[in-house]
Amino acid sequence: MHEASLAQSIVETVLRYAGANKAQTVKSVQVDLGALTFFNIDQVKFWVKVGFENTIAQNARVVFRQIPGRIRCKACGFEGELKMQQNAVYHLALPDFSCPSCNNETVSIVQGKEAVVKTIRILKKPE
Amino acid sequence: MKTITPSDDEALDLHLEENLLDKNQSLAQKNRRLLDRFGVYAVDILGSVGSGKTTLIQQMVTFLKGKLRTAAIAGDLTTTIDANRIQNAGAEVIQINTGKECHLDANLVHRAMNHLDLKNIDLLFIENVGNLICPGEFPIGAHQRIVIVSTTEGPYMILKHPYILMDASTIVVNKIDLAQAMDVDIQKLKENAMGIKPDIEVIFTNARTGQGISDLIQTIRIQK
Repeated sequence: MHEASLAQSIVETVLRYAGANKAQTVKSVQVDLGALTFFNIDQVKFWVKVGFENTIAQNARVVFRQIPGRIRCKACGFEGELKMQQNAVYHLALPDFSCPSCNNETVSIVQGKEAVVKTIRILKKPE
Repeated sequence: MKTITPSDDEALDLHLEENLLDKNQSLAQKNRRLLDRFGVYAVDILGSVGSGKTTLIQQMVTFLKGKLRTAAIAGDLTTTIDANRIQNAGAEVIQINTGKECHLDANLVHRAMNHLDLKNIDLLFIENVGNLICPGEFPIGAHQRIVIVSTTEGPYMILKHPYILMDASTIVVNKIDLAQAMDVDIQKLKENAMGIKPDIEVIFTNARTGQGISDLIQTIRIQK
């Protein structure tokens, strides 16, 4: 359950910034999660909701955006989405870490590994 | 008591851009610098419970005795069973009990490294907690990652865990002596791995007898 530890750091991050900015309520939270991370969005979301219980963020709308995976080929310079092989036998779409353009094996991941709290919307305490 | 609350149009947006994995990442880099300073080469070993991680480390330690100075960090939920086995093979071992945590992280590994005599170590095996998902997101500073699957886990282990191959240099297919009994085609497992990551090295082993251990050691890119 490594989602729980990620959720915990989301909760801590949100409450820390909200507190520092004298928030009365946290209205919404936006988190980016890369498609190539090992995190399941639904599980992270569940644990974030649990973590927000009885805090100023308990009614916050929590929005997760999944960032698609992108790779770059060191050989031909191709940059784009990862090739996925459809495997009808196993009902699986398997990633293929070779270049979709030149088949070279030296690709690196340029996008899809994110786990970032992007923005939070707060209501300030009355002065 | 009367409370005045701000209305929604007075909402304030804060742009945090706070990367949640940065802390582990920078600790992993710190671990790597520490290892490099002492000339220690570290290998992260991943595999499910019962895939043969400990036995493979034991065999490598035995094989390398007198050639390289080895040590191990053994991650496990509880017990020191694994650590004792590796220690008996002749390596210095530090045990990390993660309690309920499903993966090692850079901080735990750093604390373990502080207990090792790094200047007297050439090769450090880091045995991760037994699963192929959770450790994926937590680099620990090792130079190389080896993933172990075994034939008793069935024919689909690689297809079911394609993303763990992303950062792995080597796949070990262990328990090849049981392949026939399990009706598992080890060549098919190799094809599965190469189909996902064409440059991955695939090694067949029987860790109990030591078969394939020298091939596996060949894939460790230590410069000594």
